[in-house]
Amino acid sequence: MNSMNNNVADLVKDVEARFNVLSVDYPKDDQVSFDFDNRDLHSALSYLRSAGWIQLSILSCIDWIDENEFQLVYIIFNWENPIRIQVRTRIDRKEAKFRTITSIYPGAKYYERDVHEFFGVEFEGNPDSNKQLFLENWDDMPPLRKDFDSIAYSDSKYPKREYKTDFSKKAGDK
Amino acid sequence: MSKEIKKVEKPEKIKKGWDGISNYFRANSIWMLMYCTGCCAIELPQAMTSRYDMERLGMGPMATPRQADVILVTGYLSVKTLRRVIYAYEQMSEPKYLVAFGPCAINGGIYYDSHAVIKQLDQYLPIDIYIAGCMPKPEAVMNGFKDLIEMIKSKKATGWRKYRDNNAWYKANQIHALGEVRIKDEFHE
Amino acid sequence: MKEIKLFLGPQHPGMHGNSSVHMYVDGDIIKRSYLLPGMLHRGFEKSMEKRTWMNNIALIPRICVPEPDTNEMVYAMNIEALANIEVPERAHWIRMLVLEMARLSAHLMAFGGIGGPTGLYTAMYWAQADRDLILTLFEEMTGQRIYHMYIVAGGVRKDLPEGIEKKILAFCDDLERRLPEYEDLVLNNPTILARIKDIIMLPEEVVWELGVTGIGMRSATGKEYDLRKVNPYARYDQVEFDVPTATYSDAFTRMTLKYREMGQTIRIIRQVLAKMPKGPVRAKVDDGSALRWRVPKGQVYSAVEASRGEYGYYTVSDGGTMPYRVAVRGASFPQGLLGIEKYLPGHRIDDAPMWFDTMGICSPEIDR
Repeated sequence: MNSMNNNVADLVKDVEARFNVLSVDYPKDDQVSFDFDNRDLHSALSYLRSAGWIQLSILSCIDWIDENEFQLVYIIFNWENPIRIQVRTRIDRKEAKFRTITSIYPGAKYYERDVHEFFGVEFEGNPDSNKQLFLENWDDMPPLRKDFDSIAYSDSKYPKREYKTDFSKKAGDK
Repeated sequence: MSKEIKKVEKPEKIKKGWDGISNYFRANSIWMLMYCTGCCAIELPQAMTSRYDMERLGMGPMATPRQADVILVTGYLSVKTLRRVIYAYEQMSEPKYLVAFGPCAINGGIYYDSHAVIKQLDQYLPIDIYIAGCMPKPEAVMNGFKDLIEMIKSKKATGWRKYRDNNAWYKANQIHALGEVRIKDEFHE
Repeated sequence: MKEIKLFLGPQHPGMHGNSSVHMYVDGDIIKRSYLLPGMLHRGFEKSMEKRTWMNNIALIPRICVPEPDTNEMVYAMNIEALANIEVPERAHWIRMLVLEMARLSAHLMAFGGIGGPTGLYTAMYWAQADRDLILTLFEEMTGQRIYHMYIVAGGVRKDLPEGIEKKILAFCDDLERRLPEYEDLVLNNPTILARIKDIIMLPEEVVWELGVTGIGMRSATGKEYDLRKVNPYARYDQVEFDVPTATYSDAFTRMTLKYREMGQTIRIIRQVLAKMPKGPVRAKVDDGSALRWRVPKGQVYSAVEASRGEYGYYTVSDGGTMPYRVAVRGASFPQGLLGIEKYLPGHRIDDAPMWFDTMGICSPEIDR
C-alpha cells in the first residue's frame, strides 16, 4: 500500500510540474483525478499516453445545468503501474464543441459518437458523427440532458394502459 | 384459351370437421421463431434443454418467419425492435400466434419511464397469451405453452384474425408511436 | 462486380443477442461493415437518475443479462468508496463466491454458444444444461435464478443458507469430471477446427488501438493483464490461481483460453469455500432513513474483471438521495463497434456471427 501511495504522489508531482493543473482529487487509494483547461487537455493526454497510460476505459459527459457547463471525463489506465487517472475538463453548454481525441486514442471514436447523440456535444474531426447510432428517427432534444423530461415524452408517445378498476385501492376502501 | 376454375364450396359439416383435425395437428407441432427480443429470452435455452424439454410438447426452433408458427416476444420492446417484430409478424403465414412474456408487455414493467420502451403491446400487435413473471421461470414458460396448445385446440387463439380484420386500427397506433414502420434509410446513406 | 447490401439481421439463428450487422459484400467477402446497435436500448442512464440509491438495485442487474452480478458489485463498490463504508470480512468472501459462479455460468454460455453459428447444437445443449444447475444453486442462495439483487452497498443482503457449501462442492466435482468431454467435442473436432483455426485474428497493435480487454488482450499480448491480479478487489490477493495467456490470437486460441479459465474458476471456488471466515455480512449504511440515505459528493470509477473484459461504472453524486449521473462501460464496447467497422472487412459472411461469439460481444451492455 505504501508503494502505491508513493507512486501516486510521484505521478501527481510529475504532472503538476509539466502542465497547469486546476485541481487534484483522490477518490480512491489507486485513483487520481486532474482538472484541466480545455486548451491543455490534448497535450496532457498525449503526454500521459506516452508515459504508459495506453488504455482508454471510457469517455463520458456530465450535465451541470445549474452552472451552465458540460464536463467531459476521460478515464485511462496503465497496466504496468496500476493507477487509474480521471482527466476532466469543462466546456460551455450552449455552444458545446470540442476537438476529437481520436488521433491520440483511436478507440474513442464511438464513445464520442455516443456523447454526441445523447448530449449534443459536437466533436470536430470525428467523421460520421451526424449519423444516428442508438436512436432511430429521433425527433426531440438529446435525451440525457437534464432538461429533457422522459416521463412526459413517454406518456405522450406510448400511452399507458387504462384500467377499469383502481387496483391501487385496498379491498374495503371507499 | 382460358378456362375458368370453378370454386367448389365445401359444405358446412365437412368444413367444421376439417378445422378440428387441422387444429389438432397444429397444436401438437408448434415451431417458434428464433428471435430473442429482450431479457426474458435468457430462460428460453433452459426450457429447451433436457431438464424442462419443450420438444416433448412438439415445440422446436425455426430459422425463418415464413415457416414459423409462433413468435415469442420475450420481455420489453424498445422502439427499434418493435419495427422489426412487426415486419417479422407480417411475414408469417396464417394461422400465427404471439406469446408475450413478462409484465413489460402489459404496462411497461420496470421501464415505465423510459423514452425508448413502449408500454402496451396489444395496441400494436394482437397477443394470444401472456406469461407472468420477471422473468418467468421455465416451469411458468412450459405452463404457458401448454395453455397455448389448449387454446389452439379449442379454437380460441384467433389473434391473427383480429389483426386481419382491424388492420387499420393497429396501423394507426403503430404510426402514432413509431412514426415510420419501415425505415427507408437504414444504411444511413 | 457491384457490391450488394446485406444485413445480418437481428432475427438470425446464429446471432448472439439482438443487434444487426450491415454489410456491403462482393461475392462472399465483406467489403464494408457497420454494427447497428440500439435494439435493446432502454435509457438506463436516464432512469437511474430518477430512483433512490437503494431502488436502483432492482434496475441495474438488467444491464448485462448473461452475467448480472458484476453490475451490482461495481455499483456497491462506488457507493462504498464515496461514503467510506467498511465491508465486513465474510461479505468479501461471499461476494467472490457469487462473482466466480457468475463467471462460470457466462463462460459456459459463451463456450456453448459456438453451436449457433457453426451448427454444433450439441455444445449448446450441454452447456445450457450445466448452466441450469448453477442457476438452481443461485436460486437457493439468493432467491432468484437470473437477477439476484444480492450484493448491496455494505456487504450482501443475507448469509448463505445451511448445506449450500456441500452442494456447490459436489457440483464443482461433477463439472470438472465433465470438462474434458467439452474439450473433445469442440476443440478436438475437425469440422469446428476448420471454421475457427486461423480465422478472426487479433494482433497486438490492434488490441492497443481499440482498447480491447479481457481474453482478447491476454491472448494477443501474452501478459497476465487481469484486473484480479493487477488491481485486486475483494480479497482476490489471498487466493491462488493462474491466468492463461497466449501470444497468437485467433478464434481457436480464444476458445482454448475460455476453456482453461473455467478450470481456474473451479479452483478459486474451492479455495473460497475453504477459507471463508465467520461473522456478520452487512454493515449499516444509513445516513437518513434506511431506504433514503444520502451519499456524499464525489465522482469515482470502479471496475471488475467480468468474463468478457473490464466492466465498470462511473458514478457522480451531488450529496442527494438519487445519483446525479451513472455512466456504464460495457466490456465489449470497443470490439463490438470499432472492431466491426475496421477489422471485419476481408472476412467471409459466415465469419460475422463467429466474431460475435469468439470476441465475447454482449449486446445489452453496448446499448444500455
